[in-house]
Amino acid sequence: MSSEERFDAVVLGGGLLGCFAARHLTSYKLRCALVEAREDVCTGISRGNSAIVYTGCDNKSGTLKARLCVQANRTFEALCAQLGVPFVRRGSLLVSYGPRGDQVVRRKYRQGRDNGVENLEILTGAQAEAMEPGLAPGISCALLAPGTGVTDPWALCFAACENAQANGCRVWRNAPVTALAREGANWIVTAGPHTLRAGAVLNCCGLNAHRVQELCTSPAVRVIPDRADYLVLDQPAGPFVRHVIFQEPEQKGKGLTLVPTTDGKLLLGPSEQPGGEASDRAVTAQGLDFLRSRAARVVPGLDLSQVIRAFGAVRPNPFHVRREGEGWVPEERGIHSFAIEHPHPGLWSLIGIKTPGLTCADALGAMLAGEAAAYLGKDAPNPEFDPCRTPPPRPRDLDLPARRALVQANPAYGRVVCRCEDVTEGEILEAIRRGAVTLDGVKRRVGTGLGRCQGSWCADRVLELLSRELGLSPWEVTQDGPGSPLLGGERRDL
Amino acid sequence: MTCDVLVIGAGAAGMAAALSALEAGAGTVFLIDRDTRLGGVLPQCLHSGFGEVIFRQELTGAQYAARWAARVEAAPICLRLDTTVLAVSPERRALLSGPAGVEEVSFRALVLAAGCREVPIGALALPGTRPAGVFTAGQAQRMVNLEGLTLGRDAVILGSGDVGLVMARQLTLAGCQVSAVVEQRERCGGLPRNYRRSIVECGIPLLTRTTVSRVHGAGRVRGVTLRQLDTGEERFQPCDTLITALGMVPERELLRPLGNPLPSWVFLCGNCHHIHRTVDTVSLQGAQAGREAAALALESGAAG
Ligand SMILES: Cc1cc2nc3c(=O)[nH]c(=O)nc-3n(C[C@H](O)[C@H](O)[C@H](O)COP(=O)(O)OP(=O)(O)OC[C@H]3O[C@@H](n4cnc5c(N)ncnc54)[C@H](O)[C@@H]3O)c2cc1C
Ligand SMILES: Cc1cc2nc3c(=O)[nH]c(=O)nc-3n(C[C@H](O)[C@H](O)[C@H](O)COP(=O)(O)OP(=O)(O)OC[C@H]3O[C@@H](n4cnc5c(N)ncnc54)[C@H](O)[C@@H]3O)c2cc1C
Repeated sequence: MSSEERFDAVVLGGGLLGCFAARHLTSYKLRCALVEAREDVCTGISRGNSAIVYTGCDNKSGTLKARLCVQANRTFEALCAQLGVPFVRRGSLLVSYGPRGDQVVRRKYRQGRDNGVENLEILTGAQAEAMEPGLAPGISCALLAPGTGVTDPWALCFAACENAQANGCRVWRNAPVTALAREGANWIVTAGPHTLRAGAVLNCCGLNAHRVQELCTSPAVRVIPDRADYLVLDQPAGPFVRHVIFQEPEQKGKGLTLVPTTDGKLLLGPSEQPGGEASDRAVTAQGLDFLRSRAARVVPGLDLSQVIRAFGAVRPNPFHVRREGEGWVPEERGIHSFAIEHPHPGLWSLIGIKTPGLTCADALGAMLAGEAAAYLGKDAPNPEFDPCRTPPPRPRDLDLPARRALVQANPAYGRVVCRCEDVTEGEILEAIRRGAVTLDGVKRRVGTGLGRCQGSWCADRVLELLSRELGLSPWEVTQDGPGSPLLGGERRDL
Repeated sequence: MTCDVLVIGAGAAGMAAALSALEAGAGTVFLIDRDTRLGGVLPQCLHSGFGEVIFRQELTGAQYAARWAARVEAAPICLRLDTTVLAVSPERRALLSGPAGVEEVSFRALVLAAGCREVPIGALALPGTRPAGVFTAGQAQRMVNLEGLTLGRDAVILGSGDVGLVMARQLTLAGCQVSAVVEQRERCGGLPRNYRRSIVECGIPLLTRTTVSRVHGAGRVRGVTLRQLDTGEERFQPCDTLITALGMVPERELLRPLGNPLPSWVFLCGNCHHIHRTVDTVSLQGAQAGREAAALALESGAAG
């Protein structure tokens, strides 16, 4: 058993929310730590989402969600510049094809305006069709939100974590929280082999947050997940639309969302299917059918043979619940804002933070860290806090002289390993140095295997680098953590 | 740096192209490959059946490559291995990157001999999970034959083209149980000799009019759902490895900035022209492309 370590504040969970909370804790003079159950950060909800930086038109006026979203959207460029994360303000079009949709367009326009979203505009169908000729004709009207942006959620999460670490936050992985107890004015957190004592605890355990809170007290809000499926189309399809497109369907149910990503691909989705376990990311047949049939109607000219991958995500829907027998039954009334529980002094739980949680991660983190610092009576700013993080070099983004200089200084940046996305060996080694321990960990950091060949060229090279750098046998290297070895069969001595 | 003919890819096609460009009178010929060895996919082909036309012998892919490689190494070709061509511009410049540095090379004619890539399972967008243990056939072949790795204990192979069949046999010989080769068409997609060696000799069931409709397994593949396409019947087939041989796509992304139709100074050959079944036609087409590229380079050199 390791000895107990003392902190001012401890963050539970290394998703977007936990990493940003940790980042902001370090902006005060606090001793802080983050514990993550898995082998890496960014493996939960934050790994699979739509990558959209929302403007705040969609959120009920007067809620914390609306306020944070509007504020976060305005400052997203600055945030991404500090953290070295891609961000493009593509703008979005909410398109309607009939009276029901028109109502939604008008409602969101008013709501957005009330929330303080700038430059919203209602377009005629003809205007929208001229802007996006790939959309099926017959648009009746559209809401243009120029502020809508697209980012790289993985890069954002890793950047926040690295920035927190650089400012002094301890980060432990492979440290699942199994006990949380109050002792005097302190919390005792048992996380894997570690025991931490802290005045403040921020529970950011995503799909598991209600269970973690249950370790000390029963939450009033629980997560009842449902599933979301996506299709990814290769670069030739990327420019098919220029804006983020939200189709508002006439019949009840979900419309189609199209996202031209920061790396030039096109994301279709999410669908919405009930059920699903927190850990189950299987793609559903219904979800795929939904996406394909919607695409055929909304973007009939889109070449679906450009699909290179489908993936499934899990939505953390928060519900007020009541106990019935063994289970929990959701109450009717919906939750329109972020559910933040504060059941005891010094404990905050973020339960079921769904869209726009990515957009608001930094703003929520700042808010929580501020509350925690004030509670601890230590809200003096940390004069050494540096909000900037140096992103790893990306040769493909450099001009020729800079790229040349980089390779001269470190030849590994000259060797291209992932041929579809032009990722070099140097980037992979740097990703491993910064914490990647699995094939997917490397993928999320540098993009290996995300392209048209889906890693069939580079996976074994990344495997070799992981095994060499981490001192593992190739048979110990996993795709995505315990239970996912890349190799099987009889081990050999190489 | 400048050259007459720049050849991208040093597989069967590119080696032949570089040699014949030189023979046809090109002054400087660059041959570039991102791999550290010559031969492209050939060195990983340890089965025989290569070179029946050109050498009138059944060689292994590795042997076939070695014969050509010896000629390339003896010729005054500017060989750059471990070097990737990142981009080609309409101004006839190529951007090269390798551990030795990043450089721009101007050329008069370009031979693209970049081979092909395999269609990954992602393109099928199947329902189910995305576990570890799914490999494309060419990747599996490289990992087993060149890198000394083992992939799993029991495998299903999706696709009965030659590459799928060759891997079915190899995995069986390596001690992996191959429970089925699955093919959506009515009959086997590969050459008769591969059908004989893999399906018949190894006794592997070939399931025609069948496909994989779902992949199972949380961390590692646990099995697949096989669907009979005529009856719609489905059954679960346990396996810890899925090998996909879904076909190949010519690797032509480098040509995107050059527009359509392609400029007259671009010559395609080998699998990046179309997918060839045998290597002999690849080498012959490479040689032809090399000669044509040299002729164009000499012509434009005289004019310029
Ligand atoms: C389908 C979908 C699409 C979305 N699209 C958008 C979008 O376009 N724009 C937008 O703004 N937002 C979007 N969101 C919302 C956004 O993705 C989430 O709000 C955000 O990622 C939530 O992050 P998190 O940190 O709460 O959760 P997670 O990322 O799940 O992090 C929780 C972490 O806690 C860890 N953990 C769990 N239990 C324990 C334990 N016992 N001990 C220690 N650690 C533990 C987990 O391993 C995990 O790493 C989307 C969400 C979904 C589901
Ligand atoms: C598994 C398998 C089994 C086969 N079995 C037989 C058989 O039994 N008999 C037979 O006759 N034929 C067989 N073939 C077919 C034949 O071997 C191939 O068609 C032939 O070798 C292809 O040659 P190529 O030069 O067109 O492509 P490749 O061998 O793929 O060469 C292309 C080269 O280009 C390089 N390259 C690509 N892009 C770049 C870039 N941007 N920068 C630098 N380098 C680049 C690649 O690294 C590669 O080395 C088989 C093929 C396979 C895959």
